[in-house]
Amino acid sequence: MKPRRLSRRQRALANCAPVSEDRIRDRSMRAAVFRARGSNEFANQQSFDRAVAALVRAIPIPPEAAEWFSSTDLIAPSKWAWKKTARNPAVLAIGIALVVIAGVFVFNFVGRLNDFPGSGTARKLLGTAGSTRSVLLDPVTGDAGTLSDLFFLKHGLEHYDVPAEFADFRTIGCRVFDDDEARRVAQIWVVEKRMQFFLFSAERNAKTGVVLQFSGWRYVHQEGWVGAVTERNGVCFMAALRGREKDLAPYIPKVKQ
Amino acid sequence: MLGDSGKAQAVFQTTLHEAARRAAHEGLPNERFWLFRDARWRCLEASETDLQAEPLEMEEHEVIAEAASQIERLEPIQLAIWISAAPEPQRTALAFFYLDEFDYSEIADLAELKLSELSRLLAAGRRQFQAWLDATFPERSTV
Repeated sequence: MKPRRLSRRQRALANCAPVSEDRIRDRSMRAAVFRARGSNEFANQQSFDRAVAALVRAIPIPPEAAEWFSSTDLIAPSKWAWKKTARNPAVLAIGIALVVIAGVFVFNFVGRLNDFPGSGTARKLLGTAGSTRSVLLDPVTGDAGTLSDLFFLKHGLEHYDVPAEFADFRTIGCRVFDDDEARRVAQIWVVEKRMQFFLFSAERNAKTGVVLQFSGWRYVHQEGWVGAVTERNGVCFMAALRGREKDLAPYIPKVKQ
Repeated sequence: MLGDSGKAQAVFQTTLHEAARRAAHEGLPNERFWLFRDARWRCLEASETDLQAEPLEMEEHEVIAEAASQIERLEPIQLAIWISAAPEPQRTALAFFYLDEFDYSEIADLAELKLSELSRLLAAGRRQFQAWLDATFPERSTV
């Protein structure tokens, strides 16, 4: 058959045109059949193929074999081509969007995993630590543990005690300031690794006023600073330094969290 | 493929038996047409022992409009024998094509042919079959 106006590939495709048009599954074959349809040669070919296929269906199949195909299709329908689907720009765009949304959710979820009562305030105070200059603090030289009395006597802050683990650190200065969330905050600057300590009221239940307690030490991170927070007698203590968790870990008792 | 229902039955049973054995022991291949590919090779093996037709230049006629009426006068087994006598891979191409269950790319895959080869074999098969029809029903020229 030599249909006119057909390229070599279209001629090849037309020669392979399926007997049943519903078997045409790709656009190139559909186009070739469409262009060849006008020619007598192609009409004869189709008529020839239909007659042969009808005769093939009449070829007797042994009953033992025929019963295998009595109720099912000979060929299973083709599976969904995942690779082809994935290359579709719309699917690709949706996929990327879903991955980004999932990433944001995972990021937030992982971030919240380490949350504890007062973690928000602790992060805010880490920001304060980053912006604090030594001139803002009242110069005090002594052990950090001795400042509890100063806070109580001068500012009326009860239980603003530096934990024993940090009580022996030499101080550079301290101050007490007000914060919207943490109310009265005591800030201490020590010599050791230019660490800063913060003492602030623990978070309370909004309805009952009961202190929301948590056990051990919890880490928070903010803008290159890391803090280790613990709660005792309704007051949170945070040791903070610029660096990573591993820089602070040696100062924290092993049984944290 | 074989032109002999007894041999076809034997190949069919062997293929299914082997498929059942593989399913039980190794798991089935993750390929859509593996059973047909397997059956095809068994057919080729089964026909290796048959008398082989001598290679000869087969006469070819262009397909005509009356071909359908000529074909209707054939017995199905005549067609089966004609296809089974075709040389490989033309036999495979014709058998799968007229089974009318596969598209051209699937047939090319099963018969391990390129599109151009499949096209040439099918076109030649039609013309050769038309020549055989003309020889079988010579009164066509008077129609």
